[in-house]
Amino acid sequence: MGASVVVENVRKAWSATSEAGEGAVSEALAGVSFSLEPGDFVALLGPSGCGKSTLLNLLGALDRPTSGRILVDGHDLALLSDAGRDLYRRRTAATVFQFFNLLPTMTSLENVALPLLLDDVPPAEADERAAAALGEVGLPEKAGAFPWQLSGGQMQRVAVARALVVRPALLLADEPTGNLDSRSGARVLDLVSDLVAGRGVTIVLATHSNEAAARATRVLRLRDGLLEA
Amino acid sequence: MSRVAPLFGPLLFRPLRRDRLRFALTVAGIAVGVATMAAILLANASVLASFSATVDVVAGKAGLTVLADGPGIPEETLERLSWLRARGVTVVPAVVATAAVQGGDGDVVEVLGIDPVTDPSVRDYRFNSRSDVEETTLGRLFAVFQRDSVLVPAPLAERLGLTEGSELGVFAGGAARRLRVAGILRLEGAARAAAGSVVFADIATAQELFAREGFLDRIDLVLPEGLNDADRAALEESVRDSLPPGVTVGRPERRTATVDRMVRSFRVNLTALGLIALLVGTYFVYSTLSISVLRRRTDIGTVRALGASSRSVFLVFLAEGAALGVLGSLLGLVLGAGMAKAALAAVGGTATDFYLTQAAPSLALEPRALLTAFLTGLVTSILSALAPALEAAHVDPASTFRHGSVEASRRRAVKPLAIAGALLLLLAALATRPGPVGGLPLFGFAAVFLVVAGVSLLAPLAVTTVARRADRLAVRLLGVEARIARANLTGSLSRTAVAVAALSMGISMMVAVAVMVGSFRATVVDWVSQTLKADLFVAPEGGRSQRALGRLPEEVVTLLERVPGVASVDPFLSFEATRDGAPFTVGSGRFALVAAHGDLPMADGSDTRTVLARALSRGEAVVSEPYAVKFGVRTGDLVTLPAVDGPVTLRVAGVYRDYSNDRGTVTIDRSLFRRLFRMDGAVSLALRLEPAVSPEEGRRRILAATEGRFALRVQTNASLRDAALALFDRTFAVTYALEAVAIAVAVLGVFSTLLALVLERRREIGLLRVLGASAVRVSRAVRYEAAALSALGIALGVFAGAAMGWILIHVVNKQSFGWTIRTDVPWAFLAGALPSSSSRPSRPPAAPPASPPQPTPPPS
Ligand SMILES: Nc1ncnc2c1ncn2[C@@H]1O[C@H](COP(=O)(O)OP(=O)(O)O)[C@@H](O)[C@H]1O
Ligand SMILES: [Mg+2]
Repeated sequence: MGASVVVENVRKAWSATSEAGEGAVSEALAGVSFSLEPGDFVALLGPSGCGKSTLLNLLGALDRPTSGRILVDGHDLALLSDAGRDLYRRRTAATVFQFFNLLPTMTSLENVALPLLLDDVPPAEADERAAAALGEVGLPEKAGAFPWQLSGGQMQRVAVARALVVRPALLLADEPTGNLDSRSGARVLDLVSDLVAGRGVTIVLATHSNEAAARATRVLRLRDGLLEA
Repeated sequence: MSRVAPLFGPLLFRPLRRDRLRFALTVAGIAVGVATMAAILLANASVLASFSATVDVVAGKAGLTVLADGPGIPEETLERLSWLRARGVTVVPAVVATAAVQGGDGDVVEVLGIDPVTDPSVRDYRFNSRSDVEETTLGRLFAVFQRDSVLVPAPLAERLGLTEGSELGVFAGGAARRLRVAGILRLEGAARAAAGSVVFADIATAQELFAREGFLDRIDLVLPEGLNDADRAALEESVRDSLPPGVTVGRPERRTATVDRMVRSFRVNLTALGLIALLVGTYFVYSTLSISVLRRRTDIGTVRALGASSRSVFLVFLAEGAALGVLGSLLGLVLGAGMAKAALAAVGGTATDFYLTQAAPSLALEPRALLTAFLTGLVTSILSALAPALEAAHVDPASTFRHGSVEASRRRAVKPLAIAGALLLLLAALATRPGPVGGLPLFGFAAVFLVVAGVSLLAPLAVTTVARRADRLAVRLLGVEARIARANLTGSLSRTAVAVAALSMGISMMVAVAVMVGSFRATVVDWVSQTLKADLFVAPEGGRSQRALGRLPEEVVTLLERVPGVASVDPFLSFEATRDGAPFTVGSGRFALVAAHGDLPMADGSDTRTVLARALSRGEAVVSEPYAVKFGVRTGDLVTLPAVDGPVTLRVAGVYRDYSNDRGTVTIDRSLFRRLFRMDGAVSLALRLEPAVSPEEGRRRILAATEGRFALRVQTNASLRDAALALFDRTFAVTYALEAVAIAVAVLGVFSTLLALVLERRREIGLLRVLGASAVRVSRAVRYEAAALSALGIALGVFAGAAMGWILIHVVNKQSFGWTIRTDVPWAFLAGALPSSSSRPSRPPAAPPASPPQPTPPPS
């Protein structure tokens, strides 16, 4: 089942970048609020630098907001311990990035099995489930291949498989097609919309491609750290 | 060059500042290697330099020098050379011996017995004039020389608190003597011999001091001016014809060549160790540079995109290697000089006990030794920078970072490398077969290096194989961290395999040397317990120098025989001779006693009693194992000795074990020795006591019986054994120190590699955190990786070390010293020395490549 997400007046400020001068504060997110129902497929649109990645990192508990609250299934992320955040990342929120999604030193199968092993699933079962997930993304024959032996599209499909394999409630995808040609990109989006959305997982997909946005059930537009109405 | 210069900033200096620790470690790594080599070369050069300086000073203006190749030069030789006077040649006799100073810090002094009339024509003497008036040397020398008086160089006099007219107490030839200081010399000319630790006496005084009446040690010939080479050669020939047997003539400097030969195998052995230490340094350069290239990949891509040629990128990285090499090597020279100084102080006594009778030499910063060490460090640094520099040159302009593809090409090389490694090991096995080359175990050293190289090339295969095989089990036992560790190990194979190889080199050195020294020690302990069976050992008193100097007169032998409670006395008497220019010892003992007690284990295990009894009855010799190996002599062969009446040839009755003298010894029965060489007295004596007399009681009685007349050092069996082993341990103390440093550096190197790799993997680690791995688990993975690296390095190192130890024992030592050593692995030491238990290999080291030939136990 998907997760419900509530974002309340979230701000994220970066202190003192050298260009802005000493003590200057720039806000990547200047008070963002929205809420998502389980199973929502949201496209997060906006020009480069508007704060999409910042928001996704906050949703993924990779970073903490300067102020405001984020509730996932009613739990405040800010109240989680370090161990709780690790657990949240392992079980609840899965992430797919634009670049560098896979560990270059592991095979596809090992990459997909990794989150399961991190969650203390027995190795044999982890491999089985990882193989199944690779099958679902159409790459069963690439189980033993290393990332550098795969095309960019294939790498992203392995990343999707890895996100799927833990049966997350929330999928955070940060421009997953940004670095792919349109055919491979479409293939990855197919997987996301069919496989993931089909299971009722809540999805937040940051993108500036309209084609990607078209598959979403909701669209949020960010500009200069604020949601456009 | 103008195209290269702009690249130094972005590619070199900036990153260098970022990575200070690793660069410091690299420089230290090279420094240690270079230091080890420099120390060894310098120590040897210093020993040789101080010896040859003395040779030069003592030879003075002599064009030719007559020396003994036997017990000494009989004084009659002077008469045989009297015709030389008519040819304008000045004939200058001298006696040279070493005495110990009473009291003081264990000073020893060379005593040069001279003829005050003729000596100034070959050597210079300058008096420390009291009245600022230079007196003529000749007159002064002649005037001051009386019996029992000596001339002392000013610095020595100052050190010992002597002034003109005061007395110098010495131990010489087993007696305590007081000599009157007849004059103080300036530190010029002859006074510079033995670095100023020399005193001058009248020939008769010196002969009497050392019980050398009737013998000289050298006769220097000052040739007339304007002699051409042909005349000189003809003269030399005529002199040779008029010399008695066992006396030779030649240019004065030939002694240096003999000493050079003596220290050569010692030097070569140590230099080989130094080279292995340098290999560890090489690893540092390689690893640092290849990690630098990795880290700067994007920067390299950018400057390439901006138009930098691949050649200039290559040159930048090569320059970096060279710069590291220069820094490390310079530091290494400084360190090496310090180490050489310490080594000379620590082993000075030993080296000189073994090779020279002279005070510990001072450090000589010989330019050739320094240059050799420096260039070796620089060249190896540049060579090890080649591969990373080539890699840098091949970075595509604006290449996107694709870690894997670089490693992929490496992974394809694993098999060919392993095959090459196996071939090298095979070659190593073959290289253990041939004998020495020119007396040096060159093939043995080649074998040691081939093992090091072969095992290094096997390291990548070991890493990938173990990673593949152990993955499932490790993940089940240790969790996902093991998989992450495994992935990192194989994912950065070019770095991790090299780290494993470097660690294994360090470990293998330690294991090899520990096995070698441990075996050697066990063998010596065994041998000492078999040979040192007498109750008491008597030698001339050496004061604090702890050295047995000179010879005891025959009177001591008869005196000791008459001490109540002494059952038997076996006097050992010897002198140095040469065979084909290589020195060896001619020794003697009472064969009847040795035959009765059987305390001289034979190398082939045959019965000592039978062999010695036969040698005694037939007038045959026994030779020590080093002599047999060095000169290729076997039982039944003939050896020639320089007897007083001309060379005599004796049959070899057997070969005995001896670890006390690597020059080799020919030993004959005492009565035969006295007849052949007209020499008596003893260098040392082994006494057996009657059962009722305790060693302490025997010692008291001997000291009482000789009191006032002789100064003897009487040691009990137990204390002599302890002293022998203490000497052994002192000899190898420096070796151990060198090893310890090399290993410490190797371990540091592995950790610096890990550190760098962790920095390198920031992104991967970030990704792991995103996937929900806690910081604890990530760092546990890094620790597993370190443990796996160490375990692999140790396992390979122990294997290589066992093989190298075997080669050192059975090939290198055997060929350079002629010693048969029983393999004896110092388990306790190794277990203690190998790093922490978590990374210790669970299996004992592999057996040596072939089963070592076990020497048969000597008869008991
Ligand atoms: N670690 C950081 N430190 C300082 N500023 C940052 C950091 N990460 C992002 N920013 C700034 O925050 C703003 C939003 O960035 P980001 O969320 O990455 O935008 P997007 O993903 O929409 O392109 C940008 O102005 C960026 O410069
Ligand atoms: Mg972004």
